[in-house]
Amino acid sequence: MADSIAPIVAAEEKLQQQADKMETDKMWIIMGPQHPFSHGLWTLKIKVDGEICVDAEPIVGYLHRGWEKETENRTYPKIIPMADRLCYAASMTYTHLYCMTVEKALGMDIPEKAKYIRIVADEVCRINSHLMWLAAVGTDLGNLTVFLWAMREREYFLDLNVKLCGARMTTNYPRIGGVRNDTTELFDRDILRTVDRFEKALWEIIALMDDSSIIVSRMKGISYITREQAANVGLTGPAMRGCGVDFDIRRDDPYDNYDKVDFEVPVLTEGDSYARYMIRTEEMFQSCEIIRQAVKKIQALGKNAPYRVKAPSRVPAGTHFMRMEDPRGESLMYLVSDGTDKPYRLKVRSPIFTNVSSAKLQCQGVRIADVPAVLAQIDMCLGETDR
Amino acid sequence: MAMKYLEKYPRSTARGLWVIKPQWHVLKLFAKTVFHRPVTVLYPYEKEWVPDNYRGRPGLDFDKCVGCGMCARMCPTACIKIVDSEAADGKTVKRPQVNLGRCAMCGYCAEYCPVDAMTVTPEYELAEFTRFDLLYGPRRLAYDKTTEGMKVKLEVTLQSDIDNGNAERRVSVFSLDRPELTDAKCIGCKKCAKVCPVDAIQMVEKGTNEKTGKPILRPVIDEVKCISCSNCIDDCPKDALVMKEVL
Repeated sequence: MADSIAPIVAAEEKLQQQADKMETDKMWIIMGPQHPFSHGLWTLKIKVDGEICVDAEPIVGYLHRGWEKETENRTYPKIIPMADRLCYAASMTYTHLYCMTVEKALGMDIPEKAKYIRIVADEVCRINSHLMWLAAVGTDLGNLTVFLWAMREREYFLDLNVKLCGARMTTNYPRIGGVRNDTTELFDRDILRTVDRFEKALWEIIALMDDSSIIVSRMKGISYITREQAANVGLTGPAMRGCGVDFDIRRDDPYDNYDKVDFEVPVLTEGDSYARYMIRTEEMFQSCEIIRQAVKKIQALGKNAPYRVKAPSRVPAGTHFMRMEDPRGESLMYLVSDGTDKPYRLKVRSPIFTNVSSAKLQCQGVRIADVPAVLAQIDMCLGETDR
Repeated sequence: MAMKYLEKYPRSTARGLWVIKPQWHVLKLFAKTVFHRPVTVLYPYEKEWVPDNYRGRPGLDFDKCVGCGMCARMCPTACIKIVDSEAADGKTVKRPQVNLGRCAMCGYCAEYCPVDAMTVTPEYELAEFTRFDLLYGPRRLAYDKTTEGMKVKLEVTLQSDIDNGNAERRVSVFSLDRPELTDAKCIGCKKCAKVCPVDAIQMVEKGTNEKTGKPILRPVIDEVKCISCSNCIDDCPKDALVMKEVL
């Protein structure tokens, strides 16, 4: 870890040397809420000393819709379409998480087939989300070709969503007690073809990003976060694994049937912006592997296996929480039920809300021009941050 | 299992000024697209294929609908309102009206329709000039090309069936739950019989009130006709009816 601390110390020394030479006033620059760098409505205040950023403060809350309060007026099944709207890129995982929380509160076990279908749907959603992120990173680094190619690949996975559940992004697919419908005809054939095709296409996108020294030099070696800092500030997901913390809920606290599929969790100890980029890219390949294995398991279970069990409409009183590995990090839902058919309280822990809190850590010692490139690695989504 | 990408990258070539390879990949794609079909479609003239279960605007089969209001009850955005409408024989019936300005296209109305009258349709071009044009009345909701896949069926497996080794049995949710009467609470007001959309409730005389001399009426539920819409439970002034859930 010592080598990863060194650059930030060097940057501080450099700043000190510059400060000794000449006294300049530090200045706050406000980026957002309407700014080409911010993917969504949020503000980043950065304090600059000349060209170098010394402090940063994110301001979120422009998109607050009162989601948690609104759920208290709705019966349990009605919240599933609302959970879709938490995040447009990770709609499937949030719906899945909500259903798992209620299932845990009900103490019910769902059929094997539903678990594997949920895994497939989740991983398709993860690839969707990561491709959306790749497109955003491409534009933030000034490479529009990556944006177009990533969006083209994403389209094939959105088509899979249409085939599975009838909608592209607001999927409304998992249900309390299973999934909405069985896998449709030829879905397994289509998904295997798409995944094979995607892996080839991803290598070309990687060639655009990683083989270009212009792109790599803007990510490599900037915005170091140490392992301890990442753990203390509460980073989760790919950003945390890029800093050397070896933790993935899919492997360490498996939900559904993630313990029955074989996959690797990529971890890098570099801790810079490039490492966070590499983790996400590798995760897309691992998701393809998980999809292949889960589809085989679904085929082995046969066509007539149950996919949805009937759930009671009332949830017994108590408090329950469930967490899962969202594409962006660890998302958690905390449910307080009072024995009626409506939740008393439903709290959502959004991974990005905590990840964006590390903006100060990430932006220190970074030039102004690199701030968008660094913060693109958070994969910002305001729908779930502000709720 | 092994890492696919992390084994090959980072490459040392990226350290120097190496920008030829990305250019080469772009040129390769350019050469491909000269001969291959493009990925995009000319949208207003060509449209992408959508499957049967595509969730566009809701559709309604006017004659099949019984006006139970299950769609309005399950709608998460409360865009469905039950309005009075005129049937072919001149009678006033209750049918859903959808405000598409609020519709979230979640497909719950089709899923929870007990008689499969409400469907999803693949119509997605719904722009109008005024907000009033977005109000789809019961007649306007009709969709003539309805196929079997658009009638989303809510079929579940019971946990008791799985425990008994009968896992392949599928049952419709609407054939399971039935309202149950607590006799002591009932005042015989006939509200449940009036509100029942399928006339499954008959008021049956069960003795005479000794004080007033009037007959004591109690609802008897026809379990075959019932579609478990829970209208009677909602309208019961004394909470005498409760839904008995089968699990």
